[in-house]
Amino acid sequence: MNSPLESVAVFHLGPVPVTQAILTTWVIMVVLIAGSFLLTRRLSLIPGKRQAALELLVSGIDTQIHETTGVAPAPYRSFIGTLFLFILVANWSSLLPGVEPPTATLETDAALALLVFLSVIWFAVRRTGIRGYLKSFAAPNVLMIPLNMLESITRVFSMFVRLFGNVMSGVFVIGIVASLAGLLVPIPLMALDLLTGLVQAYIFAVLAMVFISATVEDGQPAPPPPPTVRKDS
Amino acid sequence: MTIDFWGLGLQAVNVLILIWLLSRVLWRPVAAAIAQRQATAREVTEAAAAMQAKADAALVEVTQARAGIAAEQTAALEAARTEAEAAAKLTLDAAHAKADALLAAAKTSIAHSMAEAEKRNAAKASDLSLTIAATLLARLDGPTVQSAFLAQLTEAITKLPPADRAALLAAPDGIEVVTATDPGSDRTAIEQAIRTALEGPATLRFVTDPDLIAGLELRSAHFVLRNSWQADLTQVRKAIKDAA
Repeated sequence: MNSPLESVAVFHLGPVPVTQAILTTWVIMVVLIAGSFLLTRRLSLIPGKRQAALELLVSGIDTQIHETTGVAPAPYRSFIGTLFLFILVANWSSLLPGVEPPTATLETDAALALLVFLSVIWFAVRRTGIRGYLKSFAAPNVLMIPLNMLESITRVFSMFVRLFGNVMSGVFVIGIVASLAGLLVPIPLMALDLLTGLVQAYIFAVLAMVFISATVEDGQPAPPPPPTVRKDS
Repeated sequence: MTIDFWGLGLQAVNVLILIWLLSRVLWRPVAAAIAQRQATAREVTEAAAAMQAKADAALVEVTQARAGIAAEQTAALEAARTEAEAAAKLTLDAAHAKADALLAAAKTSIAHSMAEAEKRNAAKASDLSLTIAATLLARLDGPTVQSAFLAQLTEAITKLPPADRAALLAAPDGIEVVTATDPGSDRTAIEQAIRTALEGPATLRFVTDPDLIAGLELRSAHFVLRNSWQADLTQVRKAIKDAA
């Protein structure tokens, strides 16, 4: 078993080493895109079971976004939904024999965390402008600027480490148990890994949404004070 | 531990491409389908609500129309009843008037018929009485009666104006002396008495007419001197008719 902290290139595209995780990611991308294309080819006004399942997925993600942020989910649906779907499928790909999930590698999780970091900036600038985004570091006061700047990095770093640790540990434990106790013994651990993969995908997506919404909210202009009612006696 | 930054960048690009492609083939189409269904459901609901409101309004209108129809029906029935009562009253009044008129006409007719019947009865009675009288008087036709009629004739002749007597005497066809029965031996006496009363030589011709019953009459072309039971009875009948 190779070290989970090291990535081994399968082949090189020029200077770019293509690892097993990247290959698996491409396969997952093809499966997701082709599957989505096939499933959404004939959407009708009266949905069948397949369309109902798709709409349940989209509605669930929209509900989570709305409950987390309180805003319309449409601008964030593609980003948050794709993060959740990709991480979930990537986590569950470990169930296939011989497939190592891409999320069990440092590069993939770091890339996802980097995208969340950039998306926070992107959405905050789009909603509140550059001034609003910079202002979000001064919430609740200017003394918090260093801490907020540090937090903007550490929180995505924690996401990256959490996802990597959970998925990698699951894969590593299953690998160790399988090598020691045979084929059937890891099955309960694999079932647990299913749950872990779902929960980690959910946590990653929800945290990304929370970070984005917090930054957007902090960058919003302060609301006007409520009107005072004066009673003339 | 080493991080492959090429791999990190490549994975980031992969996920970005996946986000872009899935937004095209998954999230937007499904969200659009949901939105379309929601819009359709909203339209259907609004249309149903509008139709419901329309139906409610139509129901109210129908209810009002039904109430109006009922009121109109009641008014029409009341008007028809009033009109029927008026027509019945008019018909009844007309029938009463007609019946009264018929009754009055019947009474008048009955009265007229009774009067006519009374007249006819009276006429019959008078005819009967005159017939009886004529029958009875015919039995009294004797010399005494004849001489009485002669006396009355001569008296009547003498009471005639002289011009009438002269006209009788000048009648070209003479004077008919009408008797009920043949005078027989009294003819001469009768002629003598008449000529004496006429005071001239008159041409006399005797004619027998049983209808006279009894009596003597003078007749010329333009003059008749009645003096018989028949003339008396005729006068009586006329008097009775005039009295009736």
